Amino acid sequence: MPTSTDLLQGTLDLLILQTLAHEPMHGWGIAQRIQQVSREVLQIGQGSLYPALYRLEYKGWIKAEWGSSENNRKAKFYRLTPTGAKQLQSEVETWDRLSAAIALVLGRPVEASR
Amino acid sequence: MITEFLTRLRFLVFRKKRSEFDEELRFHLEQSIAMKVAGGLNAGEARRQALIDFGGVERAREQCEEQRPGWWAGLLSQDLRCALRGIFAHRWFSGAIILTLALGIGLNTMVFTLVNAVLFKPVPQPNGNRLVSVMERNLKGDDRSLPLSYPDFVDYRTQATSYEFFEATTDQDAVMSERGNPPQQFHLDRCTAGIFSMVEAKAILGRGLQESDEQAGAPPVVVIGYNVWKERYAGVAGIVGRQVQVDGQPATIVGVMPKDFRFPHGVDLWMPLIPNADLFKRENRLLRGYAILKPHVAVKNAQTELSGISARLARQYPVNKDLGISVLTFNDRFNGGQIRIVFLLMLAGVGFVLLIACADVANMMLSRSLNRQREMSIRSALGASRWRIVRQLLLESVLLSALGGLMGLGLAQGGIRWFDLATAPIRPDWIHFTMNFPVFGYFAALCIFSGLLFGIAPALRSSKPNPIDVLKDGAHSVGRRRGGWLSSVLVMFQFAVTLVLLTGAGMFVRSLLVRLAVNPSIPADRITTARLHLPEDRYKDNDARIHFFDQLLPRLRSIPGASHAAIASAAPAMGTADQQIELEHQPIANPAQRPRISFVAQSPGYFETIHVPLQQGRDFTDTDGTPHHEAAIVTRDAAMRLWPGENPMGKRFRLFDEKNQPSAWITIVGVSADMVQELQTNDPRPLLFVPYRQEGWDNMALVVDAATDPLPSMRQAVQSLDGELPLSEPFRLNDALDQLVWFLRVFGRVFAGFALIGMLMASVGIYAVIAHATENRTQEIGVRIALGANLRNILALVMARGLWQISVGLVVGLAAALPLAHFLGSAPLLASRFSATDFLAIASMLALVGVFACWLPARRATTLDPVRAIRYE
Repeated sequence: MPTSTDLLQGTLDLLILQTLAHEPMHGWGIAQRIQQVSREVLQIGQGSLYPALYRLEYKGWIKAEWGSSENNRKAKFYRLTPTGAKQLQSEVETWDRLSAAIALVLGRPVEASR
Repeated sequence: MITEFLTRLRFLVFRKKRSEFDEELRFHLEQSIAMKVAGGLNAGEARRQALIDFGGVERAREQCEEQRPGWWAGLLSQDLRCALRGIFAHRWFSGAIILTLALGIGLNTMVFTLVNAVLFKPVPQPNGNRLVSVMERNLKGDDRSLPLSYPDFVDYRTQATSYEFFEATTDQDAVMSERGNPPQQFHLDRCTAGIFSMVEAKAILGRGLQESDEQAGAPPVVVIGYNVWKERYAGVAGIVGRQVQVDGQPATIVGVMPKDFRFPHGVDLWMPLIPNADLFKRENRLLRGYAILKPHVAVKNAQTELSGISARLARQYPVNKDLGISVLTFNDRFNGGQIRIVFLLMLAGVGFVLLIACADVANMMLSRSLNRQREMSIRSALGASRWRIVRQLLLESVLLSALGGLMGLGLAQGGIRWFDLATAPIRPDWIHFTMNFPVFGYFAALCIFSGLLFGIAPALRSSKPNPIDVLKDGAHSVGRRRGGWLSSVLVMFQFAVTLVLLTGAGMFVRSLLVRLAVNPSIPADRITTARLHLPEDRYKDNDARIHFFDQLLPRLRSIPGASHAAIASAAPAMGTADQQIELEHQPIANPAQRPRISFVAQSPGYFETIHVPLQQGRDFTDTDGTPHHEAAIVTRDAAMRLWPGENPMGKRFRLFDEKNQPSAWITIVGVSADMVQELQTNDPRPLLFVPYRQEGWDNMALVVDAATDPLPSMRQAVQSLDGELPLSEPFRLNDALDQLVWFLRVFGRVFAGFALIGMLMASVGIYAVIAHATENRTQEIGVRIALGANLRNILALVMARGLWQISVGLVVGLAAALPLAHFLGSAPLLASRFSATDFLAIASMLALVGVFACWLPARRATTLDPVRAIRYE
């Protein structure tokens, strides 16, 4: 089993929004994509994935629609809304600022951001 | 933001369907299983692992549900329905609780309304929240408030900037008279012209005061109050322009003020303050200052500014040395000190009553929590969290206390009305006992607070997480004393607090009784008194005044039906004047060290009139008090204190007035029996009597002993000598005494009411606890009776716990009541000592009531039929 890292509070929202930025996806797909892209480091616990999706939906950042999956199963697809896109941008900026600051504190060379 | 809000709103209205989540979940699991199958697992194992991977399905579903905005509203309404069902299911039980709380919360709301009106609520006039009273005060010594002199007032008014209006009034009595209308005494304020505009008051007829009225030489005018207009002038429309005499000086009525307007303080007549030479003297302190602060200026800041000015004045003028200034709200000025203490005591008293009520209710709920544990265990077994159960039980408590509170609100209204009527003759006209928003806020807080207070312990007890135990426990918990200690402590607490309340009430009642029983030899119901004031402008010197009274006395004595008549500076028990005394051969040079005595000036025949016997020597004669015949009579008590162990007859002393001028040497000519002249103190000064001729008093009480009402004849006698002289404060002596103890009577009743309610609640509390404990032990008692226990064994068994609780409660209560009695006894208005016997009486009364409350259920237990009791389920 690859070692998983506990996600920082609030980071899950950011990851989901980022994942949905490319294309609408269903819950399973989101979990898989994050796992793949992070090279198996980030394992999304299903127990926290769905509450997060519902939370984002209630906030109006993503929108759910029923569609059919790759294997023609009925599935619920989540899509980024314009508000969500804006939110993503501001969260990414916050993240950059934060990680740069942490890097400074840890004494690591700072990569030119973005 | 807006879109987010709208989305939230949409989901609040259109909930997600439950199946939607299930559908999504199923898809997720299928995907997971498919992947695991592709990885080489068989279908069953893949499904199992997929489910393990996912974790608690139900938990996830709940978490998703909890994301929904406002998801708790549903829970709350569910809890609410549950709580209401709980309340209605036990109607009698809930009714008892609601009634108890109605008393507790109702009393507290009532008293808070009173306290709020007396200590916090602004004066009910426009700008009343910024209205302050300004007085000078003596920085040296007693810190007494002093009136302002006119020049001081002008200095403050011109130099200070923290107010919008700054006005001043005198505070005096004046006689209004005119042809064809008997003279009448009124409360007159001579005021600066802005007095009406500062509170935005307008005359309902004619006009108020204006600046031109204040100019020297302006035509004299008077504005009359609504009551004067209605009562003296029968409300005639053409009153404006009428010529009257005020203190013998002509004035024209120019206006009538609206009903209930008596600003600043019970005023009947307003006249302009016209400066004259006398007024301009800085040592003539006649004025009370009133100011409207600028908006947002705190009283403290105004005080600071005026203090700066007063410091300058003190440096500048010798007569202002050691004088400061005090800026206070009306509440602080007029309701401070004693009144504040009594009202706060009242608040403490009802606070205790509420605590007793809450303890009662907590006990009732505790006893039921035993029965309810089954219900709660089932709910907890079905998956309700402990927090959820506690929350629901607390909601039930708060609901109960809100219902009780609503009922109490009606009770409070009634109580406030009663208090309003009871205090109407005495209280300042600007105090209105009505509820306002702070009162309702307090009321609401009280409902919630007491609900939580009495609910928390039973709720925690009921929700104890031991479902298995209770569900298994089908049989009775015979003899087990579950949670007994908590209700025992509550009962002890109730008895302790009740004892404290009873002590407080007892202090009031006792000092009332002591005061009512003073001077038993004086037939107060046959003695009529009225006061007479000789105005300075017509009775300029002592001779003129003495001459008037010399003429009046025979006319008083010849009043038909009057057996005796006399004049005195104060009727019995109606207070005294006091002066420094120096005994012959015992000179004391330093005035501060001279003792003070109280004295009453009187005419010959006064002792006969009030039926106080002379024990030695003689009464005054008509020559006593004339030059070289200075004489005095002392009471037995005064004689013993001034000349201990000696015969006082023929001893001499002299008195010193405020300017430290000694009187002539005065000789004791008689000794009277003791009598109480000062009602409001515990250790009165030595009392002596001097003849009225010794000084020319201008203010005397006429005292007539007559079975029928002699007032009209008294009035006639006075007015046959001077048609312009009114009689004021006409009273039967017993009514006057009543007026003096009014305060004790009202508050004695209030505190006694609190204490009795407390005692009732405490007894109900102990009764309920014992009855419930007995019921739980029915089987055990049945067995004991069957095995031959006699009546006394059973009584002892049941009552032992109650007696134990009562005794501990009483001991704790005594420990708390002693300091309270000490504190109250030192207050001048109560001024009585509470003896050990009083404590004993109160404690045994309470004990008796408590024992009776225990005995009731115990008696029932002794009459149990053992056969039925053993089968009791």
